[in-house]
Parts: sequence; structure tokens; C-alpha cells
Amino acid sequence: MNVLQAMFQIFIFPGFVFLFVSALFFHWLDRKLIARFQGRIGPPWYQPLADFLKLFAKEDVLPQGTNLLFASLLPLVSFASVLTASFYLPVAVLTAPSFQGDLIVVLFLLSMPSLLYFLAGWITGGVYSILGGIRSLLQYFSYEIPFLLAVSGTAIASGSWSLADIRAAQLSSGAYIIPQWFGFLLAVSGLIGKLKREPYDIPKAQSEMVAGPLTEFSGKKLGLWYLTNHLQTVVGLAFLVNVYFAGYWEMNTLGGFIICYLLLILLQCLLSAISAIYARLRIDQLISLNWRVLIPLTLLHNLFLLLK
Amino acid sequence: MNKVVVPIGPQHPLLKEPMSFLISLEGEQVVDSVLRLGYVHRGIEKLAQQRTYIQNVYLIERICGICSHIHTTTYCQAVETLLGLEVPKRGLYIRTLLCELERIHSHLLWLGVLSKNIGLDTIFMYAWRDREIVLNLMEEISGGRVSHAVNVIGGVRVDLDAMHIATLQNGLAELNDRVEELTRSIEHDRSFAARTRGIGKLTLEDVKRFCVVGPVARASGLNIDLRRDAPYGAYRDFEMEVPIMDQGDVWARSMVRMYETVQAIRLSRRIVEALPEGAVSVKAPRKVPQGEIVSRAEAPRGEVFYYVRSDGTQVPARLKVRTPTLTNLITLSKQLKDVQMADVSSVIAGVDLCIACADR
Repeated sequence: MNVLQAMFQIFIFPGFVFLFVSALFFHWLDRKLIARFQGRIGPPWYQPLADFLKLFAKEDVLPQGTNLLFASLLPLVSFASVLTASFYLPVAVLTAPSFQGDLIVVLFLLSMPSLLYFLAGWITGGVYSILGGIRSLLQYFSYEIPFLLAVSGTAIASGSWSLADIRAAQLSSGAYIIPQWFGFLLAVSGLIGKLKREPYDIPKAQSEMVAGPLTEFSGKKLGLWYLTNHLQTVVGLAFLVNVYFAGYWEMNTLGGFIICYLLLILLQCLLSAISAIYARLRIDQLISLNWRVLIPLTLLHNLFLLLK
Repeated sequence: MNKVVVPIGPQHPLLKEPMSFLISLEGEQVVDSVLRLGYVHRGIEKLAQQRTYIQNVYLIERICGICSHIHTTTYCQAVETLLGLEVPKRGLYIRTLLCELERIHSHLLWLGVLSKNIGLDTIFMYAWRDREIVLNLMEEISGGRVSHAVNVIGGVRVDLDAMHIATLQNGLAELNDRVEELTRSIEHDRSFAARTRGIGKLTLEDVKRFCVVGPVARASGLNIDLRRDAPYGAYRDFEMEVPIMDQGDVWARSMVRMYETVQAIRLSRRIVEALPEGAVSVKAPRKVPQGEIVSRAEAPRGEVFYYVRSDGTQVPARLKVRTPTLTNLITLSKQLKDVQMADVSSVIAGVDLCIACADR
């Protein structure tokens, strides 16, 4: 592979540009679907791009006394960590590099934005920001554990902590979605928490916290936070496709690519439907749901997998 | 843990009108709240003393954007009684029909606001989409979606012809299906119940002590409704049952309002069917004889109270308005005690505040 080809793959297809377009497309799909569920028409296809460009053209103000370096670094680092995670998944590279334990690395990289989100609230210092930040941290400790436990079910079944091995094991034994459908549902619940979508949008609940930790952000930084979230949606869904649906894109063909993309769209429909159906949970309801119900269930699920 | 004071309002996504709450939190628990009113005070009572009785009808319509018609109804009733006018039956029926349409519109609007506040955007969109039907009906009758300017002293300004009646019947039939479906879906929705049940509780004693009126009182088991207890307008001719719940929480208030909406649709259909023939208004003299009077009516939010004193001129000597929001508002400091921060939004929405009414 020559240098030009490698550059093309990293930056254009299936690299940065493709990911950026996918992120905007999935965000548009989400808004359109929710609008249709709610009996509205929904935005035109270029709306996410227009929003993004508008935010980047806007004046960037922060409250006095905010550490500027920190405030600029936080969205950048969280964007970078999601982008890095994407390079271990078949969504951004044709053949993902793989090693033992990259499952954990991807999970870590995907949870970085949540921690930085809390810090964003903390350093800007408004009352809504700080309370939203504390809520996001409380929420983090509830959804992240069932998510990790549910996903580790696939590692148990394949006997490996490497994403490539999990894919390969599924190609021979069939996708894990069928035997582990319950784990998949738990993982979807965790992913909703990661993406802070309804009904887990407690940190940024508009009617209480205005915009949560991002209340004081504006302009480019806010645009970058939003883009991170859109990108995280695609990468998170690709992660689920990888561990539960055998990551068809690995097959490196047009057919594999189409199947993978259709699966992503299908999962996005699931997320949008959940958002449209449920009311926002209260933070104590969320914590008790996760700790009293979901965590014991994931433990039982994994125990069952180990004994099988 | 330190106390944190969260300001809600005067400008906040939770509130549609300016009002200020200072919520003191310990963790997520509300320990204290301070209410402040007066951001939309326009001095309407004083203004009314500088205008003639006829001009005042249009001034009073602007007290509230949601329940504009009930204010003019109450005011016109008062002045008509002072004048000793007999309003024709057809006029009374049309007046009452608009009161009921306004109740439907107000309750659907409220359902949207509550759903938005608890993060159930789908119901918000559905409720406001269905509200369009009733707004269109009101526009068809009066020419205005929100301010109708239908009432005049001595009757109403508009008459209904056969086409109006056909549109009303079709519109109300469609609305009936939609509202029944909405009622069913929130009745059985567990995520809606999780955010509204047991929140903002008011017992029957509280309700009596605070003199609470309207759906908030009826949701705590107080059986009051002026339309039945002291009927006015066309309500004299119709039997009606008043939906009562006794849980006293936001969920019960929601259900009371939804049943009331269904009932208001039914009542509107009966009024349209039973519409008598004849004139819609009588001519009223400009000067009002000396005297004073109290007029009451059941607004969507509860009892509206008007006091008018006349000194025999064209201009009222005193006009006093007491709106249901003002009496219900006082219970908020009790309701907001010891709830979670996340429930503040559903408690505030559950009372169905109309700040413009309360401030005047």
C-alpha cells in the first residue's frame, strides 16, 4: 500500500470525512425519525450541517474566570478519543488493527467524553453546569457498569478480549445477537446513557438544568461537543454491530459494507423509537433501575454464559 | 452537603411566562423555595377605571392569552346584571360554547407543557397538534385563535350559520377521538406515571386551607365546580357530572383535566345541537346605574371572581379581578417541599399557572 492510498484511507474514505458525513447523516436520521414518530415533518437533510456551520461561525464566549485552555482542550480531547475509538472498529478502517484487550480500550475511549462532560460543567462554574455535571457523573456510575458487564458477555462467549477475535468467532458460530439478545438490550440501554439520549438525558434535562454542563458553552466549542456526540452515536452503534452482529464490514466487500450500514440504520431506528416513547427518568429512578435491576440481571446473564 | 440555590426564572426553559423561583437544594432534594411574582403586571385594574364599560371588554380580554374569553364572560355577566339586561338565549349558548372550546384548548395546551417538562416530547407534540383543531374552530367562529372578542355587553358579536354548525360538529367529533386516545395513552403510560404519581401531593385539608380552586382542588377530592354549583349562561340548561379524583398528586390533576376535556367536548356538541333560534344580543345603554356586584365563572383553571362597582357613569368606579392562578399559586411552596429537583418541573406544570392572569 503506498502512502497516498493510506492517506486517502485515513482522511477521506473510510476515514475522517466519511465518519463526519456519517455522524451528520445519523443525526439527521435521528431527528427525522423522531419527528415522524411525533407527527411532525422534521428537518431537511442538510440541517445538521447547517447547524454545525452556524455554530462554528458564531462568537465564542465563556464566563469570566473560566480556564480558557482547559475549556478548549475538553471538547478537543473528547472528540479525539471518540475518533480514536473509531479506528478500532470496522466503521472507519477497512481492516481494523486488533490486539488482546482492545475491547477494553474502545470501551474506555467511548466513556472518556462522559468524564470530560462532567469536567466541562465543573470548570465553567454556573449553577446549572455544576449540577448537570454532578448528575452526569452519578449517571455515569449507573449505566456504565451494566454496559461493561453486558458487553463482556461476548468476550466470555468467544474466549477473547480482542474485537477481531469476537468478530471471527461470530463468523464461525453465528452472530451473538441471537444467543445474547438479552445482553444486547442491556448494552443498548447503556449506550443510551453514554449518548445522554432520552430517557437518560438527565444531565441536560432542559426543563431543569437548561443545557446541563454545556450551558455556558457557545460557538466552536459547543459545535465540537455536539459533533462529538453525533460521532459517538455512530461509533457506539458500530461497536454494537461489531460485538453482536459479527461486524460484516470486515468482509471488505460492497455487500458487507451495505449490510453493516443497514444494521447501523436499524439500530438508530431503535434508539429513536426509545427516545420518542419514554419520559425522562429521574436520577434516583435511573440509579435504582440500573443498580437494583439491570446489574443483577447482567451478572446472572454472564453467569449463565460461563456455565454453558 | 452545602445548600445550592438554583434560580428558575424569570427566564427559564421551564417557564412559558416570567416568574421567579429560587429553589434551595441539598443534593437533589428541594429544601426551600422562594416565589416572586409581578414581572407581567400591567395595572389592568387601574386602567379599567379610566375606560368606559364597553372599552373595558377589550381591555379585559387582554388579561390572559389562554383564557381570554372567560374573563370577558365574567365581566359582561356582571355589567349585564347591573344593567338588568336579559341576554337572548342564543347569545348565551354561543358564549358558553366558546367557554367550553376554550377549556379544551387550555387543557390540551397544559398537557403539552407538562409532557415537555417531564421529557415526554411525543405527547407534547400530539397534544399541540390536536389543539390546532379547536383553535381552528374558534378562529372559524370568531376570527381569532386566541383573542376572540366575541363577548359584548348584552350578548355576543357573532352568530352561527348552518356551515359553522357543520364545521363545529365535524371538528368536535374528530377532536373527541383524538382526546380520548390521548387520555388512554397517558392513563396507561408507566413512564408518565413514574414522573407524576405521588408528586406535589395536596390533601383535602390543604386544599380547603389554601382555598384552592379548579382542577387542582378537584384532584384532591373537593367537589366544586361553578358550572354545576352556581350555573350561569347556558350551563343552567345542561346536567353535568364533575370528574373528581382523590389522590391529590400531579397524576390525578392530569386525569381530572383529561376527563374534563372529554366532557367539555361532549358538552360543546350538546350545545351546538340544542342551539336555540333568535337574536344573539340586545342593545345595552352606555351608562350603568349605581350599584355593586360580584360575578363568578369557572375558568379552565378554576373560579374567576369579578367585583364591579358603578357610580352611575360610563366608567366603572372599581373593578377587582381575582384569578384562580393566584389562589393555586400559594400552594406551590408547600408542594415544592421535599421533592426532587427533577420533580420541580412537573409540580410547577401540574398547577397550570397562568402568570399573566395572576399579575394582571
